[in-house]
Amino acid sequence: MTVVAATPLDAFRASLEELHRDAAAALTAATDAAALEAARIEFAGAKSGRLKAAQKLLGGIAVADKPAAGKVFNEAKAAVVALLESAQARLAGATPAALAAVDVTLRGDPVRLGHEHPITRTIRRVQEIMGRLGFESVDGPEVEDQWHNFQALAIPSEHPARDPLDNFYLATANALTDVRANQPPEDAATADRGKPWLSRESAKWQKAMEGFGHGQSDPLLLRSQTSTVQIRVMENREPPLRIVSLGRVYRPDTADATHYPMFHQVEGLLVEPGITMAHLKSVLRLFASSFLGGDVKVRFRPSFFPFTEPSVEVDMEWGGRWVEMGGAGMVDPAVFEAVGYDPDTVSGFAFGLGVERIAARRYGVDDIRDFYRNDVRFLRQF
Amino acid sequence: MIISTSWLADYVQVHTTDADLAERLALSGLNHESTVTVGDDTAIEIEVTSNRPDCLGHVGVAREVAVLFKKPLAVPDPRPLEAGDKASASVAVSIESPELCPFYSARVIRGVTIGPSPAWLVARLATVGVASVNNVVDVTNYVMLECGQPLHAFDVGKLAGATIIVRRARPEEAFLAINHKTYTLDERMCVIADAERPVALAGVMGGADSEISANTTDVLIESAQFAPLAVRAAARSLALASASSYRFERGPDPAMVDWASRRAAMLILEFAGGVLEKGDVTAGTLAVSPAVIPFTPERVAEVLGCEIPASRQHEILRNLGFHPANDHATRWQAPTWRRDCSREIDLVEEIARVEGYHHVPEDMTIAARPVELSAREQAVRAVGDVLTGLGFCEAMTRSVVDESLASLAGGWTSAPPLVISPPLVRGADRLRQSLLPSLLEARAGNVAVGNTDADLFEVARGYLPKPADADTSQGPVEEPLFVALVMGGDSGSGSVFFRAKGIAAAVLARLGVADSEIAYEPTEAGVLAKGRTAEILLSRPGQGPARVGLVGEIAPAVLEKFSLPCPVAAVELRLDRLEWAIDRERKLVRHGDFPAVARDINLVIDEGLPWAKVEAAIRGAAGDLLERCTIADIWRDADRLGANKKSLVVSLSLRSPTGTLTGDEAGAIVARIITACTDQCGASLRA
Repeated sequence: MTVVAATPLDAFRASLEELHRDAAAALTAATDAAALEAARIEFAGAKSGRLKAAQKLLGGIAVADKPAAGKVFNEAKAAVVALLESAQARLAGATPAALAAVDVTLRGDPVRLGHEHPITRTIRRVQEIMGRLGFESVDGPEVEDQWHNFQALAIPSEHPARDPLDNFYLATANALTDVRANQPPEDAATADRGKPWLSRESAKWQKAMEGFGHGQSDPLLLRSQTSTVQIRVMENREPPLRIVSLGRVYRPDTADATHYPMFHQVEGLLVEPGITMAHLKSVLRLFASSFLGGDVKVRFRPSFFPFTEPSVEVDMEWGGRWVEMGGAGMVDPAVFEAVGYDPDTVSGFAFGLGVERIAARRYGVDDIRDFYRNDVRFLRQF
Repeated sequence: MIISTSWLADYVQVHTTDADLAERLALSGLNHESTVTVGDDTAIEIEVTSNRPDCLGHVGVAREVAVLFKKPLAVPDPRPLEAGDKASASVAVSIESPELCPFYSARVIRGVTIGPSPAWLVARLATVGVASVNNVVDVTNYVMLECGQPLHAFDVGKLAGATIIVRRARPEEAFLAINHKTYTLDERMCVIADAERPVALAGVMGGADSEISANTTDVLIESAQFAPLAVRAAARSLALASASSYRFERGPDPAMVDWASRRAAMLILEFAGGVLEKGDVTAGTLAVSPAVIPFTPERVAEVLGCEIPASRQHEILRNLGFHPANDHATRWQAPTWRRDCSREIDLVEEIARVEGYHHVPEDMTIAARPVELSAREQAVRAVGDVLTGLGFCEAMTRSVVDESLASLAGGWTSAPPLVISPPLVRGADRLRQSLLPSLLEARAGNVAVGNTDADLFEVARGYLPKPADADTSQGPVEEPLFVALVMGGDSGSGSVFFRAKGIAAAVLARLGVADSEIAYEPTEAGVLAKGRTAEILLSRPGQGPARVGLVGEIAPAVLEKFSLPCPVAAVELRLDRLEWAIDRERKLVRHGDFPAVARDINLVIDEGLPWAKVEAAIRGAAGDLLERCTIADIWRDADRLGANKKSLVVSLSLRSPTGTLTGDEAGAIVARIITACTDQCGASLRA
C-alpha cells in the first residue's frame, strides 16, 4: 500500500479543479467513440484514472480537513461523471447504428428448463383449488399402525380389507425369511383395484392366494389410503376443520396400464356444524368446475366405504360423458367416536380422488406405468 | 354378480330397456359392469358392494328393482311334497363347533334319477356363466343364485354311518375335494364329516368321496350357516375360493336357510324324481338378530340437505322390508337380509339411495376461511421451483427397492432397511433409506434409451427404523423428507462436484438457510465417492451441527454397476431438517452507504489445508467489517512456492456501516487477518 505524505487541503482542491477543467476540455472535444473512451480512461479509469489518483491522496489529508476534502472530491467526481454522460449522449445521437446487424431469426442461446412431474402438477392444482375453498394441505406418515389405517376408520380386525394379501405389512425380523419367497400375485384381477378408497371387494375374494402369517399383534403397514391423515389431524385438533391430505398410498396390485401398487391420493375432510351432503356436492361441483373448466355437473352414485355413511361414488361430466373421479360421503359417526368427537354435535364430509387417474385422463396418458418410468422424453412434456 | 333378465322377470315385472334398468340399479347402489346378450336372454353384470350380500341372488336384486320401479315382488313359497319316512330317523346331524357353524339343516330325498337338467335351467345357468353338471347339482347352484344361500348335495350312500358331524378340522387333516385334489387342513377351518372322514370343507367345497354321481339314488341337501371368518380362512389359505365361500364370507340372509332347502327339494323332486323324507334334520340355533333402529324423519334433511316427506321416507323403508317397531314409527326393525343396517344413519342412506342423490342440492355456499401453506409445503414448492428452473426434471421412483439398491443407500442410518410383504413389485421389498439409488437407476434407464442428459430430482420420504424408546406419536417409523438429485458431468471434467455443490447451495439459500449456518465436511456415504463427498452440516444456536445433506460424486464402482458412462454427482438434502427456514423471519438489514475497501492478499499454504480453515481464520480475525472474502486465484509452482504448497489469492471486501474506512483502518484489519492465517493455518504472505 502506498503511503503518501500529508497534502495541504488547498493543494488538493487546486488539483481537483485542474482535473475538472481538463476533463471538460477533453470530453467536449471528443467527436468519436474512441476519443470518448480515451478520455474516460484518463479521468475516470478504475485503475489509474486521475480521479482514482486524487482519491488516494485523500488518505494523506489531516484528520481535521478530511470532511472538507471529501466534499471537494465528491463534487469533482460528480462533475466528471456528468460530463461523461453528456458526451456519451451526444455521441450516441450522432452515430445511430453503431452495432452490426445480426440475424435475429437465429435461435436464442438454449436454456434448459426442468419440469414438474405431471402427478405433482395435478396435486398442486387440486391443492390450489381446495385452498381457495379453505382447505389446508396436511401430510402424515406412510408407514402406519392398525389403529390409524383401519380401526379408527371403522374397519374392524376381522374385515377382509385387513387381509395380509391386500396390504403391504412390515415384516418382523424373524419373518424375514418367509417374506423373501413371497412374490406378488401373478393375477389379482378385481373390480376394486386402484379405487381411491377401500371399496368394493368383489372378484378379488374369488381369487384366493397363499396365506402369509405376519406374526405380530399390531403389525405396521404401508398406508392403503390417506384417510389415515384425517384420523391423525382429528386426534390432535378440534373442529372446525377443512383439510386435504395427499400423498403416496400402497396396495398390492400387479402393475398394468391402469394399476400400480403405489399411487397417489388426495383426500378432503370438512368438519363443521350443520354440514350436509348438499355441502359435499356443492364443494365437489366447485372443485370440478375449477379443475375441469366450465360449469361441470357432479353425480353421486351410492357406494360403500367403512368410514363414510352415506357413501357415494362421484362422477363428473368430462368430455361429454360421466367419469368416475373418486369416492365420498358423510363421515361415519363411528369415525368421530374413534377420534373423540361427539357425533351428535359435529358433522362432516370426506372425499378421495385418485391422482393418477385424473392426471392420466387430463394429459392423455394411457398407461399409468409411464408416470413411474421417469423417461425425460415423457417428463419434459409437462 | 351376473343377473339374467328373464330369470329376474320371475319375481318382478318391469317394462323398460336393459340400459335403463342397468342405469337405475347403478344410481341406487348396484354398479353396472356390462350387459351381454346370451341366446334369448340378457346377462347384466353388476358390482355388489361387500355390505350387500342380499344382492348376491336374483331375488335380492328383484327386490331392489321392485322398490325402484314401484312394482310388486313375487317370491315363491316352496312347499315340496313330503312322502317318505321321517328324515331324522334316517340321518343324524350334530354340531361340535357351534362357533364355526351356528345352524345346520339337512333334507333327504331317496330314489332320485340323476340326469340332465331341463333346457330352460341349463340356459339360465349359462346366462350367468355357470356350467350345467346334472339335475341335482344344477338345482343347488340355481337356488344359490336365486336366493343367495349356498347349498350342498351329498350322496347319502357315501356317508359313513349316515351321519353328519360339523366340527373343526384336525391339525394336518387330509381332505380330498371335489376337484380331486387333496388339501391339508388346520383347526381354523370347519369341516362336514361323516362317521369316518371329512366329506366337505364347510361353506367352501364338497368332497370327492360323497359327490353326486350318475349312480347316486339318495341325496342329502345341506343348508347351513357358517362363520364368515372360518370360511374365509379356509378359502384363502387353500386357494379354494368358490361362489359358496364368497357368499358365506359376506353372510347370507338367515331367513333363506330353510327356504333354500325347501326350494331345492321341490326342484329336485321335479327334475330328478324320488321321495322327500318328512321334515328336516337340524342342529344348532339359527342366528337371526334383526336390529331395531331408532329413526326420526328429520334426520334425513340434516344429513342430505334436502327435504323428503316423512310419508315417502316410511314408504321407502317399508318397501325395502323394514317394519315400524312401534306405533309412531320412531323405531324400525331391519329385515333379516339387511344386517348392514343397524343405525339411524344407515336408514338415512337407504332413503337417500332409493329416492336418488340427484335431489341433493349442489349450490350451497361455503363460508370463507383463511388457509396458509405449511412450512413443509412451502419448502417442497420452493425446492421444486429452484430445481426445475435449473434444468432438472422431477422424477417419481418407488418407495420400495430391491436388495441391491437398498444395499447402496447410506448416510442416514446404520440400521437395516424395513422389509414389507408382499414385495411392491417383484423383488422390491425394502423400504428405502435414500432416494439416490433409485434416481441413479432412473438416470441409467434414460441413458439406456439414449437420453444422456437426464438430470433428475425427486422429493419423497425415506423410512428409517425408530429406536424402541422413540416417540411414535407422529408415526411409527422415522420418515425423513428428502430432496435428492443426480446430474451429469462432462467426461474428464473435474467440475461436476462443484456444480452439484453450487446447486445444493442455491437450494439451501432459497430455503432461507444462511451460508454462515452451513458447513461442509469430507465424508463417505453410500453411492458417493471417497474424497469427492461432503456432508452438509447445519448449525443453529444452542444446537450442535446436524447432518442435513450430502453432496458428492458417484463412486466409479457404482457408475459401473449402473452402466453410466460419464461422471455423475448427487445431492441429497433432508427437507424435514431444513423446512423451518422457509418460514423464518426476514427483516431488512440496511446496506452500507459508505464505500467498500477492496484488498487482495496472497497466502501460501500447505496443499492439504482446506479452504474452510483459511476462511474461518480470516473471518474470525476480520470481525463484522469483512463484507466478502473469496478466492480470486489458486496456483501451484513447486519451484517458487515449494513442494506441496499452493498459493491462494484472496479478495477481501471491507465495509463499515458507520463511515468510510481509512487506509489505516483497513490496513489494520488486513494485518490481523494475515496474523491469524499465519498462526492458525501456517500461511506465509507472498509479496
